[in-house]
Amino acid sequence: MATASRVMIKTVGLGKTVGTSEGQLTILKGINLEIKRSESVAIVGASGSGKTTLLSLLAGLDTPSVGQIFLGDEEITAFDEEQRALMRGRMVGFVFQTFQLLGSLTAIENVMLPAELKRDPEAEIKGRELLRRVGLEHRTHHYPRQLSGGEQQRVAIARAFASSAEILFADEPTGNLDSATGATIIDLIFALNEEFGTTLVLVTHDLRLADRCDRVVQIAAGELVLPDATAAQQEVAR
Amino acid sequence: MNPVLAWKLLWRDWRSGELTLLLASLIVAVSTVTTITLFVDRLQQALVRESASFLAADLVISSSAPISPLILNRAEQIGLQRAETLDFLSMVFAADRAQFASVKAVNPTYPLRGKLIVADQPFVRGRVATQGPAPGEVWLESRLLPALGLAPGDQLEVGIANLNVSQVLIKEPDRGGGFNSAGPRVLMNMQDVASTAVVQPGSRLTYRYLFAGEREALAEFSTWVKPQLDEDARLFGVKDGTERIGNALQRGERFLLLGGLLGVLLAGVAIALAAQRYSLRHYDHVAIMKTLGASPSSIDSLFLMIFLVVGLCSTLLGSVVGYLAQTGIASILAPFIPIELPSPGWRPIWLGMVTGFVCLLSFALPPLLKLRSTEPVRVIRRDLVPATLNNRLSYVAALLGTIGLMWWYSQDLWLTAMIFSGGVVAVLVLSVLAYGLLRSGRVLGMQAGSAWRLALAGMQRRGQENTLQILVFGLAIMLLLILFLVRTALIDEWRAQIPADAPNHFALNISPQDVEPIRNLLVANDIVAQPLYPMIRGRISLVNGVPAKQYDTDRENRQQEPSRDRGPNTTSGRNLTWAADLPDDNEIVEGAWWSTNYTGEPLVSLEQDLALANDLKVGDTLVFNIQGRPLATRVASIRTVAWDNLQPNFYIIFSPGALADFPSTFLTSFHLGAQQKLFLNTLIRAYPTMTVIEVDAIIEQIQLIISQVTLAIELVLALIMVAGGMVLLASIQASMDERFKQHAILRTLGASQRLVMGSLVIEFCMLGLFAGVLATVGAEVTVFALETQVFELEYQLNPSLWLLGPAVGVVLIGSIGTLATRKVVKISPTIVLRELT
Repeated sequence: MATASRVMIKTVGLGKTVGTSEGQLTILKGINLEIKRSESVAIVGASGSGKTTLLSLLAGLDTPSVGQIFLGDEEITAFDEEQRALMRGRMVGFVFQTFQLLGSLTAIENVMLPAELKRDPEAEIKGRELLRRVGLEHRTHHYPRQLSGGEQQRVAIARAFASSAEILFADEPTGNLDSATGATIIDLIFALNEEFGTTLVLVTHDLRLADRCDRVVQIAAGELVLPDATAAQQEVAR
Repeated sequence: MNPVLAWKLLWRDWRSGELTLLLASLIVAVSTVTTITLFVDRLQQALVRESASFLAADLVISSSAPISPLILNRAEQIGLQRAETLDFLSMVFAADRAQFASVKAVNPTYPLRGKLIVADQPFVRGRVATQGPAPGEVWLESRLLPALGLAPGDQLEVGIANLNVSQVLIKEPDRGGGFNSAGPRVLMNMQDVASTAVVQPGSRLTYRYLFAGEREALAEFSTWVKPQLDEDARLFGVKDGTERIGNALQRGERFLLLGGLLGVLLAGVAIALAAQRYSLRHYDHVAIMKTLGASPSSIDSLFLMIFLVVGLCSTLLGSVVGYLAQTGIASILAPFIPIELPSPGWRPIWLGMVTGFVCLLSFALPPLLKLRSTEPVRVIRRDLVPATLNNRLSYVAALLGTIGLMWWYSQDLWLTAMIFSGGVVAVLVLSVLAYGLLRSGRVLGMQAGSAWRLALAGMQRRGQENTLQILVFGLAIMLLLILFLVRTALIDEWRAQIPADAPNHFALNISPQDVEPIRNLLVANDIVAQPLYPMIRGRISLVNGVPAKQYDTDRENRQQEPSRDRGPNTTSGRNLTWAADLPDDNEIVEGAWWSTNYTGEPLVSLEQDLALANDLKVGDTLVFNIQGRPLATRVASIRTVAWDNLQPNFYIIFSPGALADFPSTFLTSFHLGAQQKLFLNTLIRAYPTMTVIEVDAIIEQIQLIISQVTLAIELVLALIMVAGGMVLLASIQASMDERFKQHAILRTLGASQRLVMGSLVIEFCMLGLFAGVLATVGAEVTVFALETQVFELEYQLNPSLWLLGPAVGVVLIGSIGTLATRKVVKISPTIVLRELT
C-alpha cells in the first residue's frame, strides 16, 4: 500500500450502535478519518458526543458495529480479541484520565508491566530509565496510593512509552489534575511524544491542550463535523 | 504468560490480603477432611490390628484339605508372614480318664497376631509365651487338668503318641473364633501330628493357614488367592470376623464424614465468595493488562498459575494443619485410649488434597474464568459491568463438586442422592424463612432510631448476601443444636446396643443333664443369663427336593457369582436350635412365628441374609441332615437378627419338638463384671466339658470406640463452626468496599464513630438473631422427626433451645461481624474517599 508508510490510523465508514432498553442507540456513524504517522490529533466534542467511544475503537479496546479500522498496515477490525491484545501490546500506549495503575504494583512494576507482558528481558532497565525521564526516580518503589495525582499520571505516561508503542492514546489526561500539574503533564506527554516519534491521539475538553496538537477533529452526535483544524478550533471556542 | 509476572502478582495479592480468605477457606476445607479421615483411619487401623489378634492373623485360609504349596509360595513372595494350624477333635487319655478334646497343632511361627498366655498351674493369669509348644510337648486348657486329673509334667496320650504336659494354656488368641470348638483345647506342635496317627484319610480336619503383613500386600494376596481356592476353602480376614465392632465404627465414620462434608461445603461457599471478590477486585487489573496487550489466553494462564500455587499451598498447609490437629487430638486422648494408635496412612492426606483441588475447581474456578472475558474498554467506561459469564456455570460447577465429594466420601450413591435432595429442600425452605426474617427487619427499621435505621437499611441493601449469611449460619447453628440435643440420644442408642450388663461370656457344649444345675448355679450367684438354647450341628441336604449341592451350583450359575462372596451358603454346616418364643431382637419379616405350644409338623425360621442369599422363601421344603439322619421341614418364617447384640443368635431356628429326637448340647450367654470373673473357675471346675468364650474384651473395644467416635463428632462440630465463620468473613469481605464508601461518606457528613460502630453491631447482632431463630426452628423440627421416627422417643419441646439458639447466633455473628468490620470505623474517611477516586 502506497499510503502505508504515511498513514498510521485510518477508519472507513466506522459506526457503533448499542442496544438499550429503549431500542438501538447510535453512538458513532460514518466516521472516515486518517491520521498520519507522528501526527498529533485532538478529538474534541461535547460530553456524550462519542469521542471516547471513537478513541476506544481506534485503540482496539472495543469493536465497531460497522466499518473498518486500519492501524499501520493492519486491519484490526478483522482481528479477534486475542489478536487485538497482541496488537495493543505491540503498537499502542495509553494515558487515561483516571491513571489506571495497578494498585498492588509499585511505580516501577507498573511501568515494567507492558514490557513484562512481552517478556522483554530489559523491562526493568527500560522502566527505571522512563521513571527517570518523568522525574520519579525517587518514587520507584512507591505504590500508587502513596503518590499524588500528578505523580500517578507521570507513572502512567512512563508506562505508556515503556512498550515502545507507535501510537499513544490519551483520554482526558489532565481531567483529574489541577491546571498547574495538568500543564506539566501535557509538557511531558508532548516532549516524550516528540522524542519517541509517536503518533498521538488525544481526547480532551481542554482547548489549550487541543491547541498544541497538529490537528483537531471535532465530533458531535456521533459524527465528525469539521475535519478542518481551524474550523474545529473555532467551533470549540464557541 | 510470564511466570515471573504471575509470581509478582501472587505475591502482591498475598501481601495486600486479597488471597488470605481464599487460602484460609481452602485450608479449612482440606484440614477438616484430613483431620477426620486421619483420625478415623488410625482408629480403624488400631481396631483392625486389635481385632486381628482374635484371628491370630490378618488373613486366614481355612480348608478341610491342605492347600496348594503355590499359594504359600506366593504369600512368601509378596512378603507376608505365615503360620499354620491343624484342628481336629480327638479323645485324649490320661491314666484311666478320657476326655473329648479339641486339638490344635501349630507350627513355631504361630500366632502371627495376639499372644499365647500360659502358666504353670491352671486357673491363673499366666504369662506371655512367644511360640507354641516344642515338639513332644502339649499345653492343656486349665479345665482339662482337673478333668483328666493331670498336673504339669504328666503325660497325655493323643492318638498313639505320649506327649509331655509342659504348660497350662490360659489363653490363645483365636480361641473365640467361632462356636465350633467342641471341647477343651489341647495345643501341640505340628511335628508331632504324624506320630499320633490320628490324622487318617477321612478324618475331619481343619487346616488353617494364617497370614500377616502390610495392608497393600494383604490386599494383593487376597485378590490373587480368591480364584485359586477350592470350593471347600474359605478366605476370611478381620473385617468378616469383627462385624460387631465394625458396625459402630462404620456408623461413626459415615456420620463424621457427612458432618465433615458440611464443613467442606461451608468452606466451599467461603471459597466461592472469596474467589468472587478476588475476581471482582481484579476486573480492573485485567482490563488494564488487556489494554497493555495481555490476551485472554494469557490472562487465563496467568490466573490459573496463581490459583495453582494457591491450591498447592493451601492443600499442603491444610494437610499439615489436619495432621497436627489429629496428632494433637490423639495425644490429648492418649490417656483414655488403652490401644496404641498406629501411624496414619497416606490415604487421608490424599483425600484432603483432592478435596482441596475439587473445591478450588468447583467453587473458585468459575468466578476466575470470568476474568478472561473482561472487556479492555472498561478502563475508559467504568460503567461497564464485567462481562457476566453465565452464572449457571458457577452453580453447576459447585453442585457437581458437592455431589462428587459426597459420593466419594460416602461411597454410596443412594445416600448421596438422599442427602443432596434433602439438603436442597432444606436450603430452599430456610432461604424463604431467612428472606421473611429480613423483610420483617425492614418493617421494624421504618420505626427505629438512626443507628437502627442505618443497620437495618444496610441489611436490606445487602439482602441477597444477608440471606446467604443467615442461611449458612442458621444451618451451622442448627447442626450444633441438633447435635447438642441428639448427641446424648445417639450415644445412648449406641450404648443401649451394648448395655452395661450385656452378656460378655458365652457358655457352650452344655450337656442336657447339666442344664438345670448350671441354671441354678447362675441364679445362686446373682448372674443374669440368657435362656439356654439347645444347639445341634446340621446341614441342609435337600431344597424343595433338589440336593443342596446341586441347588447351590444352579443358583450360582444363575447369579454368576461365587457364593463365598455372597454371604452364607446353603450347604454349610450350621448350628441349629429350636425355640418356642421368638428370641429378643429378632423380627419376623415374612411368614409367621409359631405359637408357644406348637406341636405340628417340623417348621423352621430362617435368618433374612441366609434366605436372600440362597433364594429361600416361606413355604419351601428343606431336608436337614442332622447327625446322619434326615429331618424334613418347611420354612415358616424369615426373620432379621441383631447380630451385634452379643446374645446367642442362630441362622436357623426349628419349631418346638422338631429336634427332640436328636441329642443336643446347650448354650447360653451371661454377664460377668470384672470382680465376678472368679466365678468362671467355679463354673468350669464344676462342668469341665463346657466351653466358655470370653467376649468382654471385644465389648470393651466397642465401648471405647463409641467414646472416641463421640469425641470425634465434637471435633467435627468445631470444624463446622470454623467453616461457618469463614463464610461470614468471606461475605463480610465482599461487602467491605461498599461499607468503606458508605461509612466514609457518613463520617464526612458528620456521623460519629459511635453511630457507625453502633449500626455495625446492630446489623450483625440482628443477623445473628435471625440465624439463631432460623436454627432453632430447624433444630426443633429435625429433632422432632429424629426422636419420633428414628429413636422412637417421646418428643418434648425444648424451651432452653429458644434461648440458646438466638443467643449463640447473636454472640457468634455479632462478635465475628463487628470485629471483622471495625476497620471501617478506624480508617480515615479521607483515605477511603481518595482511594475511591
